[in-house]
Amino acid sequence: MVTKEILCRDEILTLTNQRALFWKRENMLVLSDLHIGKTAHFRKAGIAIPSQILQNDLKRLESLIGNFDVETVLFVGDLFHAEINKDMDEFINWKQKFSNIKFELIKGNHDRLKDSFYQNLEISTFKTHKDVLPFRFVHDANHCNDDTFCISGHTHPGVVIYGRGKTRIKLPCFELSENQLVLPAFSEFTGLNTIRSFETSVCYGFTESSLFEL
Amino acid sequence: MKQFQESEGYKIIDAWMSEKGQKPFDFQMQTWEYYGKGYSGMVVAPTGFGKTFSVFLAVVIDYLNHPETYKKGLKLLWISPLRSLAKDLAKAMNTAVEEIGLDWTVEVRNGDTPQKDRRRQERLMPDVLLTTPETLHILYSQKNNSRFFKSVRCIAVDEWHELLGSKRGVLTELALSRILAISKSLQIFGITATIGNLEEALKVLIPYVGFKTKMIVAKEKKKLNIISVLPDEIEVLPWAGHMGVKMTSKIVPIIYENNTTLIFTNTRNQSEVWYQHILKQAPDLAGQIAIHHGSIDFELRNWIEDSISDGHLKAVVCTSSLDLGVDFKPVDCVIQIGSPKGIARFMQRAGRSGHSPYETSKIYFVPTHSLELIEASALKQAVKDRRIENREPMVLTFDVLIQYMVTLAVGEGFDQKELFHSISKVHAFHYMTEEDWQWALKFITEGGNTLKSYEEYHKVVKDDDGLYKVKSRRISMLHRMNIGAIVGDAMLKVKFFSGGYVGMVEEYFVSKLNPGDHFILAGRVLEIVTIKDMTVLVKRSKRKSAITPSWMGGRLPLSSYLSQYLREKLSESLHPKTTEKELRFLHPLVSRQEAHSHIPKKDEFLVEMIETKDGHHLFMYPFEGRLIHEVMAALIAYRLSLLKPLTFTIAMNDYGFELLSDQEIPLNEKSIEAILSKDNLMDDVIGSINASEMASRKFRDIAVISGLVVQSQPGNRKNNKSLQSSSGLIFRVLEDYEPQNLLLRQAYTEVFNQQLEEVRLKEAFERISKSKIIIKFAKSFTPLSFPIKVDSLRESVTSEDLDQRIKRIRDEVLRQTQID
Repeated sequence: MVTKEILCRDEILTLTNQRALFWKRENMLVLSDLHIGKTAHFRKAGIAIPSQILQNDLKRLESLIGNFDVETVLFVGDLFHAEINKDMDEFINWKQKFSNIKFELIKGNHDRLKDSFYQNLEISTFKTHKDVLPFRFVHDANHCNDDTFCISGHTHPGVVIYGRGKTRIKLPCFELSENQLVLPAFSEFTGLNTIRSFETSVCYGFTESSLFEL
Repeated sequence: MKQFQESEGYKIIDAWMSEKGQKPFDFQMQTWEYYGKGYSGMVVAPTGFGKTFSVFLAVVIDYLNHPETYKKGLKLLWISPLRSLAKDLAKAMNTAVEEIGLDWTVEVRNGDTPQKDRRRQERLMPDVLLTTPETLHILYSQKNNSRFFKSVRCIAVDEWHELLGSKRGVLTELALSRILAISKSLQIFGITATIGNLEEALKVLIPYVGFKTKMIVAKEKKKLNIISVLPDEIEVLPWAGHMGVKMTSKIVPIIYENNTTLIFTNTRNQSEVWYQHILKQAPDLAGQIAIHHGSIDFELRNWIEDSISDGHLKAVVCTSSLDLGVDFKPVDCVIQIGSPKGIARFMQRAGRSGHSPYETSKIYFVPTHSLELIEASALKQAVKDRRIENREPMVLTFDVLIQYMVTLAVGEGFDQKELFHSISKVHAFHYMTEEDWQWALKFITEGGNTLKSYEEYHKVVKDDDGLYKVKSRRISMLHRMNIGAIVGDAMLKVKFFSGGYVGMVEEYFVSKLNPGDHFILAGRVLEIVTIKDMTVLVKRSKRKSAITPSWMGGRLPLSSYLSQYLREKLSESLHPKTTEKELRFLHPLVSRQEAHSHIPKKDEFLVEMIETKDGHHLFMYPFEGRLIHEVMAALIAYRLSLLKPLTFTIAMNDYGFELLSDQEIPLNEKSIEAILSKDNLMDDVIGSINASEMASRKFRDIAVISGLVVQSQPGNRKNNKSLQSSSGLIFRVLEDYEPQNLLLRQAYTEVFNQQLEEVRLKEAFERISKSKIIIKFAKSFTPLSFPIKVDSLRESVTSEDLDQRIKRIRDEVLRQTQID
């Protein structure tokens, strides 16, 4: 794993190339857009997407939890993609290994399952945001306010790097601007949005083996 | 022949024709006779000579001769690539049927056919049905559809040259194979314009043993008059560029002189610009001139086409959108702006004027920059020699195969053994292995090869009766919407805020605009009000000018035949014959090239090394077209960087390419041979490009056709939003999790065949290795290098200062000449 510490409102945040962020002060792992059930949702509609994608995502999350001293896992939205399907079973089984960890979810636009479903899973939910000063955690930046630094997801930020000739590659990234940090989508089965919300944004792109500022 | 001429059917048709004062052409007679003898085959004839009636009347005559052998229901199935053709064809056939006194019905079925007509057709099929390959496949996805085709005796494939060489051609091959399995006595006839590989075209259409086939080629030739439009002096033509609007004043008189003129441009963007310029030059043409391209509202296009037919329009600025289609009687003149990039396309466009037999087609060629005059001369020679490009058929397109299998599973279901047998006889899948087939079967039933990794995936299931079927209504519905092999770009609809649809623009273009910005579409200046739900809402603007959208993929590759003629004409250009007025006109420019560098002869290959304050430029001129040059440039850059680590900027046009470096390029008489060597060619190519990224781009169409990506129809908000994903994402996922997937492999094959054009690339290096290599050093840009330089500028600066920069460089070059 490659990490990079950044200073944000005098707090140290650890960015990782594993699509998540760790906040030492709170022992909190923050990630966004896991979209559990998305691959199964596609398969049900006759589109052949391998289910190992979810297994891999969960494996990655597991090793992140093992690597840091995690007390809370905070999902900033879009934990579940659509209806209840077999991918959920996979997640439920997986989650049982972590009974000592608190799971929290800021509801995203995709999280439309009944509240009771989350309760049964022992995931506490927040409708639009959660404030842990100096930060406000939201899914969609629409719920930010002007005076608090906002940590969000939703947009699946990515950067394009142009190579020689006409080659280019797209990489997922953390997008940092004056008052906001947007997390990359955690699931591998997500597209990348390369349009920046602010012109002044700094991007931290990453690959399997590196994490760098762009 | 005699016996045939005495048949009842022939006599009836002959009498009907002579009543109208017509006589059958020889090729029509031949078709009728061979059809009567049970032959299948292909009719090759220029447009306007009654190709349609060759095959249509053949069936009519045979029916009149042996009515007892025909069953009730569909007799002739007519497949044509264009919807718009069908309507007019049906009209002509209906008139004929009526006048002959036959009790046949002729009907059209395509995407525009109203629901109630479809239901009626499904109760009782007409005797003749005109349709498209896609609509035929949609019919196959209906329950109990075999009954429609049991009585079919003849399938005619119109404009086969248009279908061949594309995935729509493969759709057609598959459609034929199914009817062959249903109908007992079937004859197949293709109808085509002249192409380079006619024999192959016939084999692809009818690869089946037991078919007697005959190629019937019309003797009649369309007369073609090619006129180059030259400016008054060479200085008027820019040395570089691709718009050519400086020539507007020359073409306005041509529009006035003729009844109706079609003005062909190469891109939608260019057509919008020309439309504006013609109107500016000749404001009184307002209302009599229209613009027609693929991104303009369908209804509006229909209206324009009708207006052309009715003779209401003086001129229409268009793109390849009008290459094909119904005959426009009033059109008596065609203007081609810029290079048509291929001989066949040029002749096809020319043929849109002077449509009736024995009339001469008239086409004006308008160069957009000086060097294109060589192309004018090359085109004239090529047309004279009747050297027309091949259409290479596509093979092993697994995306189309997957789609077809699911189509059948949605319809009546299929038996896998029978279907394998039937499909392996189709030309496109002749070399498909049993293993490939099992993969395809597994892909549609289990999602892929990997065990248990595709849970909940049940697209196609094997039913109790042993047939493979789709059981889910949702999957059936999604599949029917997706049938076809034409994949559109990601487009947004453009609508007036007050209502009314204007056309489409690419997402990419819109992403750079904001509300309040202006752009031009369909000849109108529009202001963006807002963008939402894949729709751009606009209002009319009073402004006179604005930016025109750029549509990607507008650049056609230069055909290899045309590039060969180009090289020949260039080598002759120093000493042009008196008849070659284009080359004579170009002479000042050619002499300048010869004075400062060199004009490559037929057996020479020119390399120019130019040093300017921008850096060190290397120019090479293979004349193979932009696409190949892109690959060659990357390859040469790669080989040079092995000698010395260098970074290059690459630029190219249809004639050559440029490598620009801030350091000296290690190229001299000694090293050049290794750099241009044909050894290790493909290995070096793979080393120099990002094949995975190119394949990912090719995978877009494959993913849509095979149903891995659900296409969102612009404006149609029929949700499915939760199923949206990009083909790039799926490509990545499959590369990680199922690299042996045949659809992925197909993407790489398409890169090698289409993008890298492996065969042509090898031929080019073969030719270069046999040529004498001439290296020239120059202090400023030469007439050959200049247009390439300008193309690279275009990508980095906006259009306003581009013109100035071009002018500045050109002035510098001219000054240099005077000093020398």
